[in-house]
Amino acid sequence: MTEGQRGRLYTTVAILSVPIFLVMWEIVSRSHIVNAVLFPPPTVVAVALWEWIESGQFAVDLLASVARVAAGFVLGSIAGIVFGILTGQFPLFSAFLGPIFHLLRPIPPIAFVPIVILWFGLSESGKIFLVFWGVFFTVWLSAHLGVQKVDRGLIRAAQMLGTPRRRLLGEIIFLGALPYIVVGLRTAVSISFYTLVAAELAGAFSGIVYRIEIAQQNMQTGQVLGGLVALGLISFLADRGFAAVSQRAVWWR
Amino acid sequence: MTLQPKNEFAGSLGGTPTEQLSAKAVEIDVSDVSIVFNSRKGSVVAVDRVSFQVRHGEFVCLLGPSGCGKSTLLNAIAGFERPYDGEVRVLGKAVTAPGPDRGMVFQQPLLFPWKSVRSNIAHGPVMLGKSRAEVAKIADGLIDMIGLTRFADAYPHTLSGGMQQRVSIARALANRPGILLMDEPFGALDAQTRIIMQENLLRLWSEFGTTIVFVTHDIEEAIYLADRVLVMSASPGQILRTIDVGLPRPRSPGLLLEPEFTLLKGECFALIKQQSQLAFEQMGAR
Ligand SMILES: Nc1ncnc2c1ncn2[C@@H]1O[C@H](COP(=O)(O)OP(=O)(O)OP(=O)(O)O)[C@@H](O)[C@H]1O
Ligand SMILES: [Mg+2]
Repeated sequence: MTEGQRGRLYTTVAILSVPIFLVMWEIVSRSHIVNAVLFPPPTVVAVALWEWIESGQFAVDLLASVARVAAGFVLGSIAGIVFGILTGQFPLFSAFLGPIFHLLRPIPPIAFVPIVILWFGLSESGKIFLVFWGVFFTVWLSAHLGVQKVDRGLIRAAQMLGTPRRRLLGEIIFLGALPYIVVGLRTAVSISFYTLVAAELAGAFSGIVYRIEIAQQNMQTGQVLGGLVALGLISFLADRGFAAVSQRAVWWR
Repeated sequence: MTLQPKNEFAGSLGGTPTEQLSAKAVEIDVSDVSIVFNSRKGSVVAVDRVSFQVRHGEFVCLLGPSGCGKSTLLNAIAGFERPYDGEVRVLGKAVTAPGPDRGMVFQQPLLFPWKSVRSNIAHGPVMLGKSRAEVAKIADGLIDMIGLTRFADAYPHTLSGGMQQRVSIARALANRPGILLMDEPFGALDAQTRIIMQENLLRLWSEFGTTIVFVTHDIEEAIYLADRVLVMSASPGQILRTIDVGLPRPRSPGLLLEPEFTLLKGECFALIKQQSQLAFEQMGAR
């Protein structure tokens, strides 16, 4: 086989992989080898998804989930970048906040669900807080390390040219650390979806994960799997979208 | 890559406060400066009681073996390093921080990677609050002068090392500093590029009337460029001797073949050889 033929073979296999998987799932599910109620075939899942969308409920759930993720992500990122620049640049901030952040960072954000319910009840702010909490530490650490990797020579060059202190932090140090911050932000995108799941499972009145939980209680397994497919698609799109944005964020590369 | 200095730009420099200084006035006064670095392994005396003065418009070279404290001394004039003892004064005022009156060209180009050639050069004037039109005029003049008009919108990482160093020089000049501090700016360049850059620097200097302190460990470079060469000892850095070059200007590379040049070179070489040997042994002993 030539190089080209092999390449074409791999492409063909890649294109067929998902359809083959779906067909096999359909066959297994309908052949009574497994319990079709617990493992509904893809066609049933597709119908459930379609009904969900048609009823208008999907749009409501999607909006609720995306709003939580977006709010928590934006707030967590801003706070993470600001604190990262402060601790990365000023040893006094680092000496004080570093130990605190390093103590809190390893606790999985999901473990905060019980206390967040006590603090915020089942309100939106509690869910946004959980996402914020998950995003903050990742972004903070990447900004902190990024700032420390900024060439000190660049800062000297800027000072020599008369750059005021505020511009030094907001422009030279921020842009110098930006390539590292962007990597942290991308990791934070998937973290924000993990924490969203915990936040909605803990109690909500709408949302993709909330719908999955309700469907589970009603033994609507098609709907449960449909919810998972929807969640997977959304976080996949968010990751890809962010990757595209982040390439443009570091525009000089 | 010939650089044609633009007369119109040089003309626009008139009115710089330092221009009105008499040629004899002392601009940089380094008196009894010692600089010490403290680290976990103990303290290192990098500069040991150094004194010298640079007059307005003078071109002075600091020549010395590796590790003798040349960069440290230059950093003290720039305001990046505080003397442990003694004082650096510029125009009578003690230096406490870096400032746009002292332009610096570093050993590496250190351009802002996120800024185009034009924006790198424009950074200083923008920080000083110059109007948009003024900034554009300064930047365009300097881009023309360094011969990078075609690359005005290029980002630094797409330029060669020599081109980056030219941008770095233009950036340092953009604030029209009275003093230009240069730390082995041509150290990383090949011989041909280096000769061209040296010629351009001399032309720039005579047009701008800037005071230049130029660090190098290359004897020929020091004599070719300077009015005076300060020869430094091995670490801890002291000034061993001041050599008045006294060769006529304008200078051109043909000067390197003249007997007077060879004589000065011999004088420096004898001093430097002994010190380099010492420096080398010190590094091994550490
Ligand atoms: N930040 C620092 N911390 C500790 N020691 C330092 C520091 N910077 C310089 N030194 C020491 O000070 C001495 C002088 O260093 P400096 O960089 O000024 O030498 P130099 O003459 O510029 O050498 P080169 O020609 O190799 O650039 C050296 O012994 C060096 O080890
Ligand atoms: Mg040096």
